[in-house]
Amino acid sequence: MHGIERLLIEFLLNFATAEQINIFFGDPRNTALLIGALVAFATALCGVFLVLRKMAMTADAISHTVLFGIVAAFLAMLWLGQEPSLSSPLLLLGAAAAGVGTVLLTELIQRSNLVKGDTALGLAFPFLFALAVILVTRYIPNVHLDADSVMVGEIGVAWANTNSHCLANCEPVTITADDPRATVARTCVNCAAEGISPRSPRAAFEETCGNCGTFSAAEAWQRRLISAPPQLVFVPRALLPLGSVSLLNLLFVLFFYKELKLATFDAGLAAAFGFKPALLSYALMILVSLTAVAAFDAVGSILVVAFFIIPAAAAYLLTDRLWLMFVIAPLLGIFAAFTGYEVARTWDISISAAMVIMLFACFSLIWVLSPRYGLLAGLVRRWRQHRQFAEQLLLGHLYNHQRTAEADAECARETLHQHLNWSPRKTAHYLARLQAGRLVQLEAAQVRLTLRGEAVVQAFRTELLAH
Amino acid sequence: MLPEMRQMLPEDRRVWRFIGVVALLVALGIPLSVALGVQYDYTLTNVALGGALLGVLCGMTGTFAMLRGQSLLGDALSHAALPGVALAFLLVGREPFALLVGAAATGWLGAQLVGTLTNTTRLKQDAAMGIVLASFFAIGVALLSYIQGRADASQAGLDKFIFGQAAAIVQRDVLMLAAACVLVGATLFAFWKEFKLLTFDPDFARANGYPTRRLNLILSSLIVAVIVLGLQLAGVILMVGLLIAPAAAARQWTRRLEQMIVLAVILGAFAGGSGAVLSAVERGLPTGPMMIVVACSLVLVALLFAPERGVLWQLWQRRTAHQLTKEG
Repeated sequence: MHGIERLLIEFLLNFATAEQINIFFGDPRNTALLIGALVAFATALCGVFLVLRKMAMTADAISHTVLFGIVAAFLAMLWLGQEPSLSSPLLLLGAAAAGVGTVLLTELIQRSNLVKGDTALGLAFPFLFALAVILVTRYIPNVHLDADSVMVGEIGVAWANTNSHCLANCEPVTITADDPRATVARTCVNCAAEGISPRSPRAAFEETCGNCGTFSAAEAWQRRLISAPPQLVFVPRALLPLGSVSLLNLLFVLFFYKELKLATFDAGLAAAFGFKPALLSYALMILVSLTAVAAFDAVGSILVVAFFIIPAAAAYLLTDRLWLMFVIAPLLGIFAAFTGYEVARTWDISISAAMVIMLFACFSLIWVLSPRYGLLAGLVRRWRQHRQFAEQLLLGHLYNHQRTAEADAECARETLHQHLNWSPRKTAHYLARLQAGRLVQLEAAQVRLTLRGEAVVQAFRTELLAH
Repeated sequence: MLPEMRQMLPEDRRVWRFIGVVALLVALGIPLSVALGVQYDYTLTNVALGGALLGVLCGMTGTFAMLRGQSLLGDALSHAALPGVALAFLLVGREPFALLVGAAATGWLGAQLVGTLTNTTRLKQDAAMGIVLASFFAIGVALLSYIQGRADASQAGLDKFIFGQAAAIVQRDVLMLAAACVLVGATLFAFWKEFKLLTFDPDFARANGYPTRRLNLILSSLIVAVIVLGLQLAGVILMVGLLIAPAAAARQWTRRLEQMIVLAVILGAFAGGSGAVLSAVERGLPTGPMMIVVACSLVLVALLFAPERGVLWQLWQRRTAHQLTKEG
C-alpha cells in the first residue's frame, strides 16, 4: 500500500510542488470534497446495478457485515502473532470476504426453499453483525472498532488522518562519539562515593556522549542535527483505498458493460450465451464490499448505503438508458457531496449526514419533477387522459345519435348532460372546448358534429377497434 | 371473534402437541437456569423479562411481517426511528416516553414513505426501503450532531437509546413491554380473520369490501410500535433479526397461521429471555447480539430438522426416491 501511495505522490509531483500538495490536502474542505466525490463516484457505479437487480438491501446488509470481516481479520492477525493494525490490507480482504460471505449465506438459506429471499437476508446479516459485536466486546474491547464508529463516520476529519511520505533529507542520522555534532557530557565518577566536590583535584571524570544513537530524519531535525528539514508530503489515508476502488469499479463497468447489461436485464439469455451471470454477480458483490469498506471509514456505513442507492434510484427515475444512468448517478452524488459540505458548514452539523440529506433532497425533486416518471408528469398525464376520454365520449355520443330518429332529444343542447349523466357545467365546459376546436357546432339548440369532428370520431373509432 | 370451529386434522393435533412440549421445555428453562446457579437479581430479572416480552411481541408481529414479504421493512423502520428520537429530545427533552413517541412517529412516516415510493414510482420495494432507511438515518445523525453542538450535557447517552443498551432496562420499561404485549395481542385477536385474509389474499380481501388500507395501516403501526420498543434492547441493526427470526423458525414446523404465531411467540420469548441470561452468565457478552444468536440458532435447527420441510427431511426423501428408482 505504501509503495503505491508513493507512486501516486510521485505522479502528483509532476504537476505541483510538495508544498502545494501539503497545502491542498491540509485544507479540510478540499480533502472532504475530494473524498466525498470519490465515495459518490465509486458507489454510484455499483449502485446502478444494485438498483436494477433489486439488490438495494443487499448493499445495506453488506455494509453492515463488513464489520464481521474486519473483526475476523483483526482476530486472525492477533492469532497469527502479527501486529494488528486498522489500516492493513488484510482487513480489506476480510471485509470483501465477509461481503461475499453474506451473499453466499443468504443464497444458501434461500436455496433450501424454506424461506423467501428477503427473509434470508434479514436473518443472515443481523446474525453476522451480532457475531461481530460479540467478538469485538469480548476479545478486542480496547480497539476503536465499535458499532457507533462503523455506523457514523466523519468525513470532516479525513484531512487529519494522513500518511506521510518523505521526499528528501530522509536518511536517519547516526551520531557516534567522534562525530562533530556529538555533545559531550563530563560526569564525576567518584564524587558521590568519596564526598568530594567535582572541583577537587582528586575527582575523576568520565566523558559520555549525550546524544549518541540513531534518529529518524524528523527527530534529527527536531534536535537540530541536520541543517535542512526533511521534506514530507502528507496525503489523507482514505485517498488511496477510495481512489483504487473508484478505478476498479470504473474498469469493471467499462470492460464488462455488455455482459453486465445482458446479465442484469435478461439473466437467462446471458447464461444461454455462456456469460456466467452468477460469476458476474459475485464479482459485483466483491466490488460492493470493497467499496463499502473503503468508504465507511470516511462516511459511515449507513451513509454508504445512501450513496449506493439514492443516486442510482434518482437516475432510474430520469432515464431508460443504462449508459445515461452511469453518467447521471455519479454526477448527482458528487453534486450532493459538494452542496452537502456547504450545508453542514453553515448549520454546523455532521458533514456526511448533510451530504445524504442533500442526496435525498435531489431525489425528492427528481421524484416530483422527472419528465417521464415524476409525480407531476403522472398527474398531468392522468388529467390529459381524463379530458381526452370526456371529449371522446361526447363526440361519440353525437356521432351515434345525430342521424337517428331520436337525434332531437339526444343531441339537444339543453338536455345533453342528462344523456351523458354529467353535470350541466361539465357539459357546457366540454362543449365550449370542442366548439373552439371546430369539432362541433350549434344549430338552433342542437349540437352537431362538424365534418372535422366526424373525421376525428372515425379516426379514434378505428383506432380503438383495432386494439 | 373466535376462529371458526372445524374438524381438527391428526397432523394439526400432532403440531399442537409439539408446541405444548416446546412451551413446557421453555418454561422449564427458568428453574433449570436457577439450578445451574444463575442469580436472578433486580437487573437480570428486568433484562430477562424485558427480553422475553420483546420476543413475544416480535413473534406476534414478525409472523405477519414475514408472511407479507416485508421482512426487511423492520430494518428500514428501526433506522427511520432515529430522527424521531432526536426531534423529541429537541422539543421535549430527556423524557423516555416522548422519545418513544417521536421514534414511533418518524418510524411510521418512514413506513408510509416506503409504500408511497413503491406505489408511485417504478422503484421496487428494496430500493424504496434503502432510500428511506439511509435518508432518515442521515437526518437523525444530522439532528444528533446539531444537539451535540449545543452546550447541553443532558444529551449524554442519547445514542444508547438507538444503539441498544439492555442493562439500562428498568421496571417501568418491563411494564411498558407487558402492556404492549396485551395491546398487540388484543388487536391481533380482534382482527384475526381480517389480518389472516389480508396476509394470504389481499386482492380477495379488497374485492370483498374489507377496508384493506386501514387494516394495512393498523398492522404496520403494530410493527412500528414493536420495533420502537425493541430498539432500546436490541439496537437499530439487530432489531430486524429479532423481528423475523422467531417467525422464520416457527414457519418450518407448521402450515397453520394459528400454530405458527403461537410457536413464534414461544420461540421469541425463549430467544429474548435466554439471550439475556446468557449475557449475564458470561462477562463481556452483549445482550442484544446474544438474543440474535439464540434466535438464529433456533432458525438453523428448524431449517435442518423440521419434518416434511427441513433440509435433512429433503435429503432423506431424495435418497428414498433414489433407492426406489434403483429397485423399481
